[in-house]
Amino acid sequence: MPAHHSEASVLPMIRSEFRKITTVRSPWLLLAAGPLIVVAGITGLVESGGNVHDPALQGQAYAHVGLAAICTLIFGILAVAGEYRHATITDTYLSCPRRRRVVTAKLAVYGLTGAAAGLVSSLVAIAVTAAWWSARGGAFHLSATGAWVTLAGGVAANLAFAAIGVGLGALIRNPVAAIASALAWIALVEGIAGQLVGAGLARWLPFYASEALDRASLRAATRLLPQWGGGLVLAGYAGVFAAAALISTLRRDVT
Amino acid sequence: MELEVRGLTKSFGQVTAVRDVSFTVRAGTVTGFLGPNGSGKTTTLRMVLGLVRPTAGQVLIGGVPYERLTRPRTCVGALLEATGFHPGRRARDHLRVLAAAGRIPDDRVEEVLSQVQLTRDAGRRVREFSLGMRQRLGIAAALLGDPQVLLLDEPANGLDPAGAAWLRGLLRAQAGEGRTVLVASHVLSEIAQTVDHVVIVSAGQLRFAGPLSEIGDTNAALESAFLSLTTTP
Repeated sequence: MPAHHSEASVLPMIRSEFRKITTVRSPWLLLAAGPLIVVAGITGLVESGGNVHDPALQGQAYAHVGLAAICTLIFGILAVAGEYRHATITDTYLSCPRRRRVVTAKLAVYGLTGAAAGLVSSLVAIAVTAAWWSARGGAFHLSATGAWVTLAGGVAANLAFAAIGVGLGALIRNPVAAIASALAWIALVEGIAGQLVGAGLARWLPFYASEALDRASLRAATRLLPQWGGGLVLAGYAGVFAAAALISTLRRDVT
Repeated sequence: MELEVRGLTKSFGQVTAVRDVSFTVRAGTVTGFLGPNGSGKTTTLRMVLGLVRPTAGQVLIGGVPYERLTRPRTCVGALLEATGFHPGRRARDHLRVLAAAGRIPDDRVEEVLSQVQLTRDAGRRVREFSLGMRQRLGIAAALLGDPQVLLLDEPANGLDPAGAAWLRGLLRAQAGEGRTVLVASHVLSEIAQTVDHVVIVSAGQLRFAGPLSEIGDTNAALESAFLSLTTTP
């Protein structure tokens, strides 16, 4: 089979994956939660005494776009695990027995949609920040220091976590177990692991890297990687999960 | 297009689910695939479709393994027991998802919906469907690519008597057009009325493959032959 042929054949699976997510409601409800997190987070930041005259505060507000990536992570998990739950994976593989193409198409579609969700969250973040700054008499500048860099990092985090989710859902095919593992890791495990290995190593863990990418510094005590470093580390995790998804998917029996 | 099963074996750990099974399903016939629960029917069908990897042996569809078919849905249409639907997706959208993946024009979706008499309900979400309607939707999915080979696992499941009669007519018509039809079923009376050939497996092994007339084409004859072939001595 010539190589150009196999590349061309990913396109029908990409179309099919887009049709899958546009014909059910759950992905949109899930992705709509991202901008809501941003609104709630920025509102909380200002209401809890954030000084809108502090030039750094605008960046902290925008960092919430990266937090919204928790939604694209779950969205990604459902790409494969959701298909196992509803047993639609059988029909997917009947359409395309070359499973590498199935996983590739899912990574592309969920990654792109995750990035698009990150863009929407960014626009919402700008609007909400502008509204609060004007309400509190702060000087709002679209070109504030680091604003665009922070937003770009947030969008990248939304993309990367969608891809990590696709991989995780392919490894743990039970969606409840996969989502519970991911949330437990975020809420608990990574924090403990971070303390055990020490700050020097902790910054290489996925959510520390993500904080570096969003420039969120939620855990101020930890010395984070530079933003580009956080981006590379997160891209590395996405690559590892994607590869694990491929390897575990290619040979597994679907019974 | 012929379906050729050659020396198929599948072991799950210590358990051998299918042991050295070989048979051929010819074009232009309806072949019944019979066997008690746990006899390896479903595992065999899943190996035919590339979903389960055989421990040994191979399956050729028109001379090619399923994984090597360029547009599988246009060669083989399958309805499996565990083929699922997203409950929140509308019936028409379910078929449009499959059409996109199989590079099949969307017009075909309306054709198969009308063929299985679901046009009126195509805009409803699958969670509102009865078992019989889901079965019809699964059959529509199998027919979508206008395939040369049809593999159906318990297709009459959930169909009312009128639906079962309709299904019989459909299978006969498909074979009449020269297609290859393999139907796995428990319902011997259904099989006796529909098929030309039978393949009988039990405990993962082939017990019989040949024309139905060889073991008797009345209901009672098929039943007694089935029971004696599948009872382990």
